[in-house]
Amino acid sequence: MHDRVLKYWLIAPALLVIAGTLLYPLVSALWYSLHEWKLSESPTLGPFVGLDNYVLAITDDPDLLNSGWVTLVFTVLSVVCTLTVAMALAVLLAGNTRLEINTRTLLVIPFAMSPALVGVSWRFLLNPEFGGFTAVIGAVIPSLKGASFLADPDLAMAALIICDVWHSAPYFMLMFIGALASLPQETVEAAQVDGASKFRLFFEVILPQLKPVLAIAILLKIIFSLKVLDQVITLTNGGPGTSTETLAHFIYQTAFRWYDVGYAAATAYLLAALMAVFAAIYFQLITERRPA
Amino acid sequence: MTDSSSIPAAAIVERPASRPATARLSLAQRKRIGGVARTLTILIVALLFFGPVLWIMLTALKQPRDVYSLSVLFTPTLDNLRAAFASPYFLGSRTLNSLIVTLGTIVLSLPIATAAAYAFSRFRFPGGNAWSLGVLATQFIPPVIVIIPLFIAFRSAGLLDTRLALIIANMSFVVPYSIWMIKGFIDAIPTDMEEAAQIDGASRLRAIWDVVVPMAIPGIATAAIFAFVVSWNEFFYALVLSRQDSVTLQVGLMGARTERGDAWEIMAAMGLVIILPMLILSRYVQKYFVSGLVSGSVR
Repeated sequence: MHDRVLKYWLIAPALLVIAGTLLYPLVSALWYSLHEWKLSESPTLGPFVGLDNYVLAITDDPDLLNSGWVTLVFTVLSVVCTLTVAMALAVLLAGNTRLEINTRTLLVIPFAMSPALVGVSWRFLLNPEFGGFTAVIGAVIPSLKGASFLADPDLAMAALIICDVWHSAPYFMLMFIGALASLPQETVEAAQVDGASKFRLFFEVILPQLKPVLAIAILLKIIFSLKVLDQVITLTNGGPGTSTETLAHFIYQTAFRWYDVGYAAATAYLLAALMAVFAAIYFQLITERRPA
Repeated sequence: MTDSSSIPAAAIVERPASRPATARLSLAQRKRIGGVARTLTILIVALLFFGPVLWIMLTALKQPRDVYSLSVLFTPTLDNLRAAFASPYFLGSRTLNSLIVTLGTIVLSLPIATAAAYAFSRFRFPGGNAWSLGVLATQFIPPVIVIIPLFIAFRSAGLLDTRLALIIANMSFVVPYSIWMIKGFIDAIPTDMEEAAQIDGASRLRAIWDVVVPMAIPGIATAAIFAFVVSWNEFFYALVLSRQDSVTLQVGLMGARTERGDAWEIMAAMGLVIILPMLILSRYVQKYFVSGLVSGSVR
């Protein structure tokens, strides 16, 4: 077979999978979003309503607005906390002693655990009566002794963030350790000879050189956080009330609890558009950095 | 980044012996205290991150009455696992479903991904990078948008609550990632050997099979580990697409939430089964996952 034909045969199965499982759903969802379709009332697509679903979503849906706010709070706090913890872990564990290597391996386990199980585990750890984490935090901060994390709106959000940092910080730690190892040693050594303190060494010499990696990490984490869902379902299920109902969770509920497919598709497109902005910046960065 | 290297040699000078030892700690002493503090910090970090995992695993082996207490000392029992394997939790069939879906996804995805990875690595396509970048870009589509039409399509095809539906859904993220991971490895394989094989009369396909695939095995294995981890851990698609027959371990976790409250001893037993393969794989995950994920992680 000639190469010119062969190359298309080689990618054809993969393209078929991508077209069937990603592009078809994407196009269909767009089509659904222009219709009114309550799956509980009709198994087939309802009347065409144009952009009505989008107009309703943007102008007159306090629940969606609440989810947008929840997502914003969660995204900002989880990005900042995760990356700060990850950087601290990277600096602490970048070395090659036995202790450091073994600890790194241990830290990979929270990251390799499924987000669903992570949520369930933290639900258990945060139980006010017999939760291990509640007991520990109660000993450190007496005002939180016996606190019902998942029954209080602010504490539930804190719980969601703690659980997310615990799950995703190890991944970014590995990314940062890789970046630290590839820094040119001369700049660090020069600063040491100049007698810079460790603190200044980190903030004035090392951190500026990590900027490109940091930018990619921030974008990736924003994208992860924007679509957070599994942990929300298993940890708080959006509650108490709607205090931890993220956008993805709102869409999930709209589609599979209220069976309002048209509206769910429209709001899903709004979330996708938001993510596309960050994805575009991410692509800009990775293609600049490493011409593929 | 060891402590000794961060202190310029010139700074290490003997203190005059006349100075009282208590007045100021010598550099060596301060260094030792710093080292101890660091080791302690590392141990606390390890406990913070691994403690919860250990706690769940221990809970799985506790007597039910010890589960609802903070006791650390207990007589281990397999009662919880036994209860989890029985009705109504069916841990056995959940595990079987998870295994079949995970292995099915790997077996179907990797040949498809390897073929595409080879093509993207060796051939030019009109539009250049756009194709392979486009493959990666699909992974920025939020799962919650993909699942709505998939659910409706599977429903009309009568595939709801089947393992096949879960395998197809998993392929939507395993295939694109695997293409990227394997492509990276094939890019690094020199073309001389496959060219030599073709000069010797082998067809291109034969050269791919006999020469390139064996050399790309480490890349394919990496993709397989990746595929195992993400398919095993997949929750959301399975939650929407399964009812009874195809319920996986991850979705089974939700089944331990009864009206009388959460049955924690059952959840912990399920958690133990979910974690075990990850414990075995964590060393490889650390080694390979990062390179693969940095190139295009979103999930």
